[in-house]
Amino acid sequence: MKIKVSSFASLVLLLSGMFALGSCEKHDHTEQENITTIKLLVTGPGFDEVFTWNDADGPGGNAPVIDEIALPASTTGLQCAIVVSDESQSPAVDYTNEITAENADHLFIWNITGGASLTISGADQDKYGKPFSQVTNWVTGQASTGFLNVKLYHEPTDKTNSANPGGEVDFDIAFPVKIQ
Amino acid sequence: MSFRHNAVLTAACLLGSMVSVRAQHCHSVLRGHITEGIRREPLAYASVFVREAGKSTLSDESGYFEVTDLCEDSSYTVEVSHVECAHLVQIVRVHENATFDFNLDHDAVLKEVIIVEKALAPAPAQAQATVSQIDLDATRGASLAETLRKLPGVSVLSTGATIGKPVIQGLHSNRIAIVNNNVVLEGQQWGREHAPEIDPFSAGKIMVIKGAAGVRYGPGAMGGAVILEPEPLRKQPGLGGWISAAGNSNARGGVLSGAADWHHPRAPLALRAQATLKRSGNLRAPDYFLHNTGLAEYDLAVSAGWRKNRWEFESGISSFNLQTGILRSAHVGNLTDLQLAIASDIPLNNQNRFTYAIDRPFQQASHLTVRNKAVQRIDDTWKLTGQHVFQYNRRREYDVVRSSGSASMRPQLSFQLWTNTLDAAVEHQPVRHWQGGIGVQAIQQTNFVGRGGLIPDYNALGGSVWLMERRRRYPQPWEFELGARYDYRHTSATSTGSLNNIDTLVHFGNASGTAGVIYHFNRYCSVTFNSGLAWRPPHVNELFARGVHHGAGTFEQGNPDLISEKAWNNNLSFRLSSDDWNINLSAFSNRIRDFIYLDPQNTFVLTVRGAFPAYFYRQADAVLNGLDGSASIPLGKSLHFEPGFSIIRGRRTTDAPAGDWLPFMPADRYQYAMRWTKSGSDKRESYIRIGGTTVLNQTRIPAAGLLKPAPAVYTLVNLDGTLQLKAGENPLELGVTVSNLLNTRYRDYMNFFRFYADEPGINISLRLKLII
Repeated sequence: MKIKVSSFASLVLLLSGMFALGSCEKHDHTEQENITTIKLLVTGPGFDEVFTWNDADGPGGNAPVIDEIALPASTTGLQCAIVVSDESQSPAVDYTNEITAENADHLFIWNITGGASLTISGADQDKYGKPFSQVTNWVTGQASTGFLNVKLYHEPTDKTNSANPGGEVDFDIAFPVKIQ
Repeated sequence: MSFRHNAVLTAACLLGSMVSVRAQHCHSVLRGHITEGIRREPLAYASVFVREAGKSTLSDESGYFEVTDLCEDSSYTVEVSHVECAHLVQIVRVHENATFDFNLDHDAVLKEVIIVEKALAPAPAQAQATVSQIDLDATRGASLAETLRKLPGVSVLSTGATIGKPVIQGLHSNRIAIVNNNVVLEGQQWGREHAPEIDPFSAGKIMVIKGAAGVRYGPGAMGGAVILEPEPLRKQPGLGGWISAAGNSNARGGVLSGAADWHHPRAPLALRAQATLKRSGNLRAPDYFLHNTGLAEYDLAVSAGWRKNRWEFESGISSFNLQTGILRSAHVGNLTDLQLAIASDIPLNNQNRFTYAIDRPFQQASHLTVRNKAVQRIDDTWKLTGQHVFQYNRRREYDVVRSSGSASMRPQLSFQLWTNTLDAAVEHQPVRHWQGGIGVQAIQQTNFVGRGGLIPDYNALGGSVWLMERRRRYPQPWEFELGARYDYRHTSATSTGSLNNIDTLVHFGNASGTAGVIYHFNRYCSVTFNSGLAWRPPHVNELFARGVHHGAGTFEQGNPDLISEKAWNNNLSFRLSSDDWNINLSAFSNRIRDFIYLDPQNTFVLTVRGAFPAYFYRQADAVLNGLDGSASIPLGKSLHFEPGFSIIRGRRTTDAPAGDWLPFMPADRYQYAMRWTKSGSDKRESYIRIGGTTVLNQTRIPAAGLLKPAPAVYTLVNLDGTLQLKAGENPLELGVTVSNLLNTRYRDYMNFFRFYADEPGINISLRLKLII
């Protein structure tokens, strides 16, 4: 009986040791990027607006909240800077500077669909002189509606092929557009 | 035993009658069965001497013997003796069809020094399949799933060529248990891309139990169990061991494994150390390299056994560590890219070159097991067993990330699971022909995922009580098994600070049971019927998952209202096994109430990476029916034909569309092989075998359709052989295994990466094993 008690005691000790091991190793850091928010800062002569695509709770759950891009017709000289961030964290994490710093490994692709009279061209280049398009020039035509699709690629294999630059898609979003 | 005699036996057995050799004047046969002690356990290797005829023989492993060419209606004096037992002399008269039972008592003087090591729990009265010794040797160096692939009723669910998990009669992951050395493996087995953390080199025997095995192995074994048993520790003083090496042409991989066994010259102490190292690079499909499919693995296990008087202790610690690359071209960011990848016949974003480097995406899995077991023999019949097992499972998944900066060294997903299990059981040898035990189990689990994980963190507590009894009264042909178990699981899940805030308590309790009947036509042949009830609580991922599954291009959403799955499994199996012949057939029907599955809703969820089709976890009743079998049929003295097949049909019975086929059910599979053995039927003899496997096109697919049509029928040709040699005194085994001999280009329905790339082409593997 004595043996039994002592072996049971050692078992309990072992067990508690394991629990201790369990609790002290708990902090394992992961690097999980969640892009929740994309902002388009559009400025021009007498125009200064921010259009936001926001999915604060991530994929699923509540649907993303998307601003309509309303622009005056027949306007030149509009410039857009895109801001990418994770607002599910507090404080929010802004990825824009990091993307700009590694501009050779990133590419923004802009596409207009559905007949909106909007022309977008890149206003910047990466460090090798290849397209980057974090800052873009916008020119509007007559009153119309449509969609603006923005994609961010990383490690694109062919930056000049805007239809299929290769690499990986980090985000792929669409804003409704109204030229008035 | 001669081929002719066996054929007679087989034919007689198939007719369901007892075997008899026609009695003539002096051609009668004395058949008997020897048992020992009050337990009436069969006694192997007892010597039998018939004095008048001057003939002697030994009983076989089941205690049976026969002495031929005796005269009918004459009296004979039969002496039965065994080194551990008292001598017995009995006078018998031989008649046609007579079988005599001899019962030997234990020799009281010898009793204290006898160590009778018998597994108390008999093999379950359930359909089962064991990996044959030659198949075990031929697949040395492959993963556990690959090792099991050839068994009837077993298939492999894979994620690329490097990640595979076993599927038993259509069920996998959380529905089957993997039991290594009496320890149920606790990892992140819910994930279809999470392969079991097992080193098959550590096992001396690998067996699959088909159908509900919940009574024995807990709620995780609703659909079956994979059982791995190590070789027993060394019993004679001294040092021994083995070393095994293999090299593969495909992936230019190598495996080195070895074990050392030692027994103290005087003290009852035995030690073992076993280690495995594995490294391979990019696999090659017939037309291209599969970029980023390398792997690196190292495993180490140490165990010690000590016994004194009525006590036995066993301790072991084992560590498994694996890093696996995941096919680069299978990584897609959004649905458009996925559709492009599916439409392409060749993998996109693939680098067609060989390298050993493992880049993102890759997985790192490690598993630590600490096992302590104590057994006390109260007397010859009763024994007490206690076991504590601690398991720590860590899995890290490294995705292809946007930032290439310093933070990118970290994983994108990390799971840590701590499990403590405590088992206590009272087991007994036959008492009034009943053999079995009763036991309790407690389990505690802590899962830590961390921010942004697919599943929440959780704490689970559980308790179980089980009872299992088996009755066989020799020589009656009937054998019965009954078992019952009750399990309770309590899980509290929390996930704060991440995107899906969860703070929930769930608890599940359920009873399971099993009943089995075996009819032994004779010692070669039996029919088993087993009926089992089993259950499984929904796993946290089924309850709370929420996120995009990038490999599949789907958005998956859990359902916190799910209830437990209940399975009623009926299994009828036929087994014939003699020196030469081997036939296993099993038919099953598994009715599952509230079967949990992913339902495509034909809706899309808009995410920052675009719109993804939404899949929701739902429940409906389902039924899985199937038939599988394997055989080894002697065609001559050294030639065997080895056919096998696995057929399964799984469909839903409720939930619109009712009768819809279940997804990811293995397609029909037929195997056939010819094996030439150098001499006789000894399993350890040199042999060469050529065989094929034909997998049909899966036509039974869900009505909602598949992203990519099910792959076409394919046939693979395989070749393997072993040459048994001697290196001095030590047995040396040389082997060759050629898989996909014709370098066939194919894709498999059960591989999630069939969207992206072909399966690997020809592989020539050379093996060497030296036993010291």
